[in-house]
Amino acid sequence: MIHDFGIVWSERALLLSGFANTAILSALSAVVALLLGCILTPALMSKHQAVSGAARVFVDGMRCVPFLLLAYIVYYGLPSLGIRFDNWTSGLAALIIYNAAYMAEILRGAWVVQPREPIEAGVAFGFSEIKLFRRIILPPLLLSAGPVLGNQMIQIVKDSAFLTIIAIPELTHAASSIQSRHYVPFAAFITAVFLYWGLCLVIEAGVSSVGRVAEARR
Amino acid sequence: MAQLVLDVAGISKRYGDVEVLRDVSFQVGKGETVCVLGPSGSGKSTLLRCINWLERPDAGQIYLNGAQVGITGGGLVMGDRDLSRIRTRIGMVFQHFALWPHLTVLQNLMEAPVQVQKRDKAEVRDEALALLAKVGLSEKRDSFPAKLSGGQKQRVGIARALAMRPDLLLFDEPTSALDPELVGEVLVVMRDLARDGMTMVIVTHEMGFAREAATRVLFLDHGRAVETGSPERFFSNPETERARQFLQRYAGDAAGGRR
Amino acid sequence: MSGGDIAAIFQGAIVTVTLSLIGILIGLPIGLGLALLRWANVPVLARIVALYVSVSRATPLVTLLLLLFFALPNIGVPVSPTSAAVLALVMNTSAFNCEVWRSALANFPKDQYEAAQSVGMRAGLRFRRIVLPQIVRVSLPGLVNEMSMLIKATPALAVVGVVDITRAAVRIGAQTYKPLPPFLVAIALYVPIVFVLVSLQRWIERRQLAAKVAA
Ligand SMILES: Nc1ncnc2c1ncn2[C@@H]1O[C@H](COP(=O)(O)OP(=O)(O)OP(=O)(O)O)[C@@H](O)[C@H]1O
Ligand SMILES: [Mg+2]
Repeated sequence: MIHDFGIVWSERALLLSGFANTAILSALSAVVALLLGCILTPALMSKHQAVSGAARVFVDGMRCVPFLLLAYIVYYGLPSLGIRFDNWTSGLAALIIYNAAYMAEILRGAWVVQPREPIEAGVAFGFSEIKLFRRIILPPLLLSAGPVLGNQMIQIVKDSAFLTIIAIPELTHAASSIQSRHYVPFAAFITAVFLYWGLCLVIEAGVSSVGRVAEARR
Repeated sequence: MAQLVLDVAGISKRYGDVEVLRDVSFQVGKGETVCVLGPSGSGKSTLLRCINWLERPDAGQIYLNGAQVGITGGGLVMGDRDLSRIRTRIGMVFQHFALWPHLTVLQNLMEAPVQVQKRDKAEVRDEALALLAKVGLSEKRDSFPAKLSGGQKQRVGIARALAMRPDLLLFDEPTSALDPELVGEVLVVMRDLARDGMTMVIVTHEMGFAREAATRVLFLDHGRAVETGSPERFFSNPETERARQFLQRYAGDAAGGRR
Repeated sequence: MSGGDIAAIFQGAIVTVTLSLIGILIGLPIGLGLALLRWANVPVLARIVALYVSVSRATPLVTLLLLLFFALPNIGVPVSPTSAAVLALVMNTSAFNCEVWRSALANFPKDQYEAAQSVGMRAGLRFRRIVLPQIVRVSLPGLVNEMSMLIKATPALAVVGVVDITRAAVRIGAQTYKPLPPFLVAIALYVPIVFVLVSLQRWIERRQLAAKVAA
């Protein structure tokens, strides 16, 4: 057993590059998905039926489909429409599109339980729509939804593992390579599990520091 | 009457079957303090919210310094931008303070003048600090709203409205969410404003304050402006039966309510 | 895409639904059991459960599945793809369920419990008649949410050769060189299944909110 971990250690460069890829994929898609979510949220809450309806269909659609299916559609399905991406671009695009819907839904959930008066004060003080959202509505949303957004970021990390199936060299892919090369399944995958765990602990630490900032601003 | 600041002409508003405001008219001259009184549900909040078009009235007109609110010269309903421009001239103080929780006290004061009125930041800051001093909260400028008492929050709410240099200030029951012992500190600030000649429309249940600080009272009942006149006349000798009943319930407060 | 292809995707749907149901049915009580261990603060065990939950919540289903499928035979436990799949689903979902149950237990009003004690209910009865009905109510939206998460994670089972909806669709797409039609069939199968759960969750939340407002 110790010997097996020795083998994994000798392949640490491969494992670390997989880990780095997972971290980069996750971080990049978390940031972009959150930004897109911020844009999508006012659409969900829009007074215009057409806008809110379209946003709702997109968000509910994403919430009803497995991530891997979306990734397949982007990677294998779109080329038959003449749109072709490499596996990296497909994976990243799928992660972003998919999770933007979840981020938007989380922010919407936080929005509907916000007290109405401060937002109304923004209107009374002459903030017009876009600025009202950006400066008055959004900041408290991001703070109060912090923990749930953090959970979603953990979900992104886990979704990124699916991308091993379209051969993106992320962490699970690296562990698989090591296992098939040396036949050390337990050592290889358990190491990957603990690396995932570490990544999530970092996210949780980030969330709790946002939580401290939010605490003062309730 | 001095120069006319606010002219409310025949405002009506209904929610579904409920007629909340029925043909309400009144005027406010520069430097006046008009207290709006009336039983719960009589439409006081709705009236205030119609003045700056947070609610859109179904009928009637509102003029601020002679210019119509909510309707353009061409007779169309104003867009976001025009409404926003007018709203910056009407300050509003809320029942539950409505401070922005993610901004410090000073930032709450500076946010709209800088972001909406696009005034010079340094100048706004100096003015905001002076306003905080005026409401006695200089040392709280870097606190977040969550750390303040109700009375302090409402004084910030007033300073925030003043930072916009409004032509008119609207108050919706500014003290009714406060513990009794905190009401006084807010009323003191409001009384100073009245004395300094700020033009104000104040919805309140503080009869003592209305009697003493108002230049005029407006009594609302079931959405109608039933009575208007000087506080002396209204409180000592109301014209209508409804007003008499209303005052009877506040009798204790009106007699002993001079804080 | 032939009728046989569509039948194959439906075959995949049966696999997806069956395995999900098994995972949910086994995962629910295990999650509750784990939560009780933490709630009662059983020495050592509570710690182990906390660690298990923390690690499991961070572990992608794909990775867990590969670990189980390849490592168990290595230590002399033979596993079929299906049993590895069920085991992975149960481990995954029970960790999430544990968190849902635990937060319901943690927020359970103490006076309720004491009221039950004061009328002489013993521990078992107290739990069955007083605690459980109330925490089920509180946990329900979270548990239903976890069920839909579980179903959306099932395409991971393909890595050990289980042919679910997604896998069947990919296969047919590769054979016919027309990947979009089978994907559309797959979407048409997932959406109603998950949408029922998502709507159920929203409905429960709305009903409970209305009940709270009315109270
Ligand atoms: N958005 C709304 N939709 C439907 N009805 C409303 C709405 N807002 C207010 N109302 C109704 O309009 C009537 C007047 O409400 P308003 O809040 O203006 O009264 P108020 O005089 O301010 O009362 P209070 O002293 O309790 O604040 C009430 O009957 C209220 O239920
Ligand atoms: Mg009111």
